[in-house]
Amino acid sequence: MEYQKAAELNGLCNGKIVTEYLCRNGFSELTVDAKKVAVQHKNETSRKEAEDESRLPALEEAYTTILRGLGENTDRQGLLKTPLRAAKAMQFLTKGYHETIYDVLNDAIFDEDHEELVIVKDIDMFSLCEHHLVPFFGKVHIGYLPSKKVVGLSKLARIVEIYSRRLQVQERLTKQIAMAISEALQPVGVAVVIEAAHMCMVMRGVQKMNSRTVTSAMLGAFREDPKAREEFLALTKSA
Amino acid sequence: MERSKQKQMNESENEADSAINGHFDGRVKIPGWSAGGAAGTPSTAPSSSVMESWREERTRSLEDNELSLPSIAAAYTTILRGLGEDPQRQGLLKTPWRAATAMQFFTKGYQEKIIDVLNDAIFDEDHDEMVIVKDIDMFSMCEHHLVPIFGRVHIGYLPNKRVLGLSKLARIVEIYSRRLQVQERLTKQIAVAITEALQPAGVGVVVEATHMCMVMRGVQKMNSKTVTSTMLGVFREDPKTRDEFLTLIRS
Repeated sequence: MEYQKAAELNGLCNGKIVTEYLCRNGFSELTVDAKKVAVQHKNETSRKEAEDESRLPALEEAYTTILRGLGENTDRQGLLKTPLRAAKAMQFLTKGYHETIYDVLNDAIFDEDHEELVIVKDIDMFSLCEHHLVPFFGKVHIGYLPSKKVVGLSKLARIVEIYSRRLQVQERLTKQIAMAISEALQPVGVAVVIEAAHMCMVMRGVQKMNSRTVTSAMLGAFREDPKAREEFLALTKSA
Repeated sequence: MERSKQKQMNESENEADSAINGHFDGRVKIPGWSAGGAAGTPSTAPSSSVMESWREERTRSLEDNELSLPSIAAAYTTILRGLGEDPQRQGLLKTPWRAATAMQFFTKGYQEKIIDVLNDAIFDEDHDEMVIVKDIDMFSMCEHHLVPIFGRVHIGYLPNKRVLGLSKLARIVEIYSRRLQVQERLTKQIAVAITEALQPAGVGVVVEATHMCMVMRGVQKMNSKTVTSTMLGVFREDPKTRDEFLTLIRS
């Protein structure tokens, strides 16, 4: 049930078990009961792909307001269709809200008698800072020690996609990926390391071009056994 | 907001020449239009070349920023809801304001004029060899998707008795890049600004950038870079000068 809590942190009812969640923007039929939350998030997503089209006009209007507020001329040729493009781009960059882990993973878990470290590294990750709505991007390294069950390798990258294409905080992203793998496979241990550059720090604010933020989540054997952690870190160090 | 409304009305009169950003880049100056503090802006005969741009008006002031912040923040709240997020959750409570301020910072080039930045730093120097400032980090916003563009700018010029303070080249880059831009136009605006300010024998500007609209979405090509260049004066006519410039920025 830890996973359920992690998934609630963004995309659903965020940070607390809610007894009732009435949303103003079109899916008010989703009334969430505390008891139902566990089931609800497995089958439902906080945004349905089919509704994206109907949300576009409101988003477009919002972007037009923003452009005008910035002092630009929304009638000039380069900006004519920008609200629509920006709205679609933003929907794409937050498409992780459409998807659930269960859709992505269900078929690709295999029984395999393998108990050594499996690492998928240098997975490019692009996400949006939830505080400034500005991108942050970098690489994700995932390692796990299977316990009789292995997962299709691309599914690890898909898990990264689902959680990163949202409004995120790097710490939470790391944890969500680790917990998703943990829940799905029940492995002996999971390790996730993310190294990213945050445009909100590079393009504005302190403006430090070369700074990188590194976060990690170590679960199971990776947390308890220093040797396993060392092996993972040594193998993911870029040469 | 009166000021910006006035601008909107004026814009509709000049729609034919609407390809350029910053409103009055190279446009006819409307007689009687004062944007507040418009010192030293001549009323010119109609000429719609980008060459006028360095004498342009500021299209936005600090007061405008303050006045428009609430409406931009409200727009961001709408966007958050439209994306399926809950604007009341702890991480998103102040996000509309932060995002609005951030966006205003990313477009702060509209608040500045070249002439303010350059006025004192032009010196008479009897130097006629190439001067290059390279690897200037540049951050801009794609005007089509409102997504960042970042990269490097290399500037070279052949002075003609007048040299410019070196950091002023980087400031020119800042003024033009902190706007809603198209890379081609950015390159040209930088080159033209330097030409207008110094009347050098030649100017060369190369911009090499990564477009997040191509990397994060759309085709999703991680490693692609876009390179644009503008060569004016001697750099355009003399292949040897251009070669020297391009070799020196490679090393």
